[in-house]
Amino acid sequence: MIRSIAQKELASTLRDRRFVVLSVLMLALLLAATLVGRASYRTLQRERQVAQQTVNDQFHHQPNRHPHRVAHYGSFAFRPKAGLSFLDAGLDSFTGTAVFLEAHQQNSVNFSQAQQASSLIRFGELTVAFVLQLLVPLLIIFLCFSAFAEEREAGTLKLLLTQGVSLRRIAWGKIAGYGQAVALVVLPALALAAWLLLSNESFANSPDAWARLALFGLSYVVYFFLWIVGAVVVSARQAHARTALVLLLGCWMLGGIILPKDTANLGANLFPAMTKAELDAKVHEDAQKGIDGHDPQDQRSAALKANLLKKYNVDSEEKLPVSVGGLVMAESEAYTAKVYQQHFATLNQTYEHQNALASWAGLLNPYQAIRPLSMGLAGSDFAHYVHFQQAAEAYRYQLVQRLNALQTSMGYGDKERKLDAATWRAIPTFTYESPALGWALSYLLVPTLALLLWAVGLSWLGLRAIDKTSIA
Amino acid sequence: MTYILEAKELRKQYPNKLALRGLNLQIEPGEVFCLLGQNGAGKSTTINLFLGFVQPTSGAAYINGVEVASNPLKIKQYLAYISENVMLYSHLTGVENLALFSSLAGFRYSEKELLEYLADAGLPVEAVRRRVGTYSKGMRQKVGIAIAVAKHAKVLLLDEPTSGLDPKASNEFSELLRRLSQQGTAVLMATHDLFRAKEVGTRVGIMREGELVDVRPTAALNANELEQLYLTYMQ
Repeated sequence: MIRSIAQKELASTLRDRRFVVLSVLMLALLLAATLVGRASYRTLQRERQVAQQTVNDQFHHQPNRHPHRVAHYGSFAFRPKAGLSFLDAGLDSFTGTAVFLEAHQQNSVNFSQAQQASSLIRFGELTVAFVLQLLVPLLIIFLCFSAFAEEREAGTLKLLLTQGVSLRRIAWGKIAGYGQAVALVVLPALALAAWLLLSNESFANSPDAWARLALFGLSYVVYFFLWIVGAVVVSARQAHARTALVLLLGCWMLGGIILPKDTANLGANLFPAMTKAELDAKVHEDAQKGIDGHDPQDQRSAALKANLLKKYNVDSEEKLPVSVGGLVMAESEAYTAKVYQQHFATLNQTYEHQNALASWAGLLNPYQAIRPLSMGLAGSDFAHYVHFQQAAEAYRYQLVQRLNALQTSMGYGDKERKLDAATWRAIPTFTYESPALGWALSYLLVPTLALLLWAVGLSWLGLRAIDKTSIA
Repeated sequence: MTYILEAKELRKQYPNKLALRGLNLQIEPGEVFCLLGQNGAGKSTTINLFLGFVQPTSGAAYINGVEVASNPLKIKQYLAYISENVMLYSHLTGVENLALFSSLAGFRYSEKELLEYLADAGLPVEAVRRRVGTYSKGMRQKVGIAIAVAKHAKVLLLDEPTSGLDPKASNEFSELLRRLSQQGTAVLMATHDLFRAKEVGTRVGIMREGELVDVRPTAALNANELEQLYLTYMQ
């Protein structure tokens, strides 16, 4: 029975010229977004690879230098684009792409695409995720708003019911039929995405990328299922198709535009984040309490020197086997890094509170559940950004401490000498390994749970409501 | 005796109207019972109560001995229904509509069988593969008849089925009802058409303000007597 109704809905839908036109438009948008997203991904990825290679070469080809000069010369870490970010750019356009790595200083990740784009970027980009999250639900609304209401108005519902079919089975048949119609629009784009991934050897051989793509697709299956069930239920409970359409469009606006903005504003008000200037000022203020590697009059430097003389049982700095300057730099770096990490953790916690609020809002609004889930699976969410930032900072710290160790090993009078250029070629450059799917999922539990709860809850309650629908 | 259709003290109270006042009715297999009455007399409410689309305020309706209100799905296997305006899926063809509704009722027919049902109902051959959206009311009615016949129901519930049909189609419809009646199908038909009631009915019942005020075998009346009787009650 369900299959017969599903087949009828699919056949009717495909013969409806309005749906065909809308679907072709939607499919064209999806395919365009996939291709444009992929092209943009490849361009950005290539640019960043070239930039990373260039700064790595520049770092390795430094002349004979003092290690601390090298530490200040620094390097850059460029954030590689995540494999699926061409499907959902997430926060990528707004977060930075490159960070300057140098001694004493934890620089922020800069040069976001938004900084370099026109103000139009604030209206959002045409990504696959945008089409899937906001435009496909609109298509579903136009497809399903009359599912029951029109049958009731036209009188076909009575004829259906006299064949011995329950309202619940009719509803499931319709859900299955509309689901197939939506799949015809969405699947070609996902197939194209899969083909594009397959054409890239590094992704083709990456089970992680495939698992992410599969979960990405599955999440949207659940999301569209929700919209279809919701639209069918609303259609069944409203006496007229027109009322059902207005109600569903209201839900779309509330869930897709109003609630996300309100939640973001509420999060920012409940958990105000410090600005970059405030963070820098606090780090600077607290760093003053540690050793200043560039101040020879610093009392804590003097104490360190005294301890060294005692440790090596010598009476002057000249007799020490290590460079006091190098050790002071190492001590100073460790302290500054600790101070920075503390303040960064505080700031990060604020952002996490804001993000948690947005994630929990997924329990009220499925759009706010699919959004973080989609970004997280595509590797373009805040957690992935912080992962890169932390990896870059860890590399910076190791690099600077390695250079400080080189300086220390040069002994007294190191400032007058330089190390051979070959030394820099032995230092490993920055490489970034994106986190695995398991790591990403640990940040996506709430939105996943919210989406599943919506699916189960809406099906259960909605279908019960349909059972009580008036027929005559 | 087991009646195929039975109403016992069936009553339906709407918020602002008492639509049916304790209806008692028994219909045997093969009988064609015509319900006559003005608009609002309770004919459609009676049909809807037998269909299970509205719940009785008190009393009960039975089809084949099964109470309708508590077994709304089960009783559907015994009945077929044709309304005044048979509404079908306009994007599907006549034969697709018949195939769909038959499959929902549990009957899967071959293409040849479907075409035969449609031909028996009087649908022109050239129309069967056209979308129903292009059909006239009469053509839709014929597809509705084919759907009802293909279900092999024991009971046929008809609500003004000949309204809007041309005389030839009405005549064919009467012929079909007679044939079904001979095969043992019971028919409950709500109608304003006294002529058709006299022609095909075995009994007529006159309803007024929710009450079945008179029941007569059609064999005992000629057309004029039936009209006079009807007008008397309607005054």
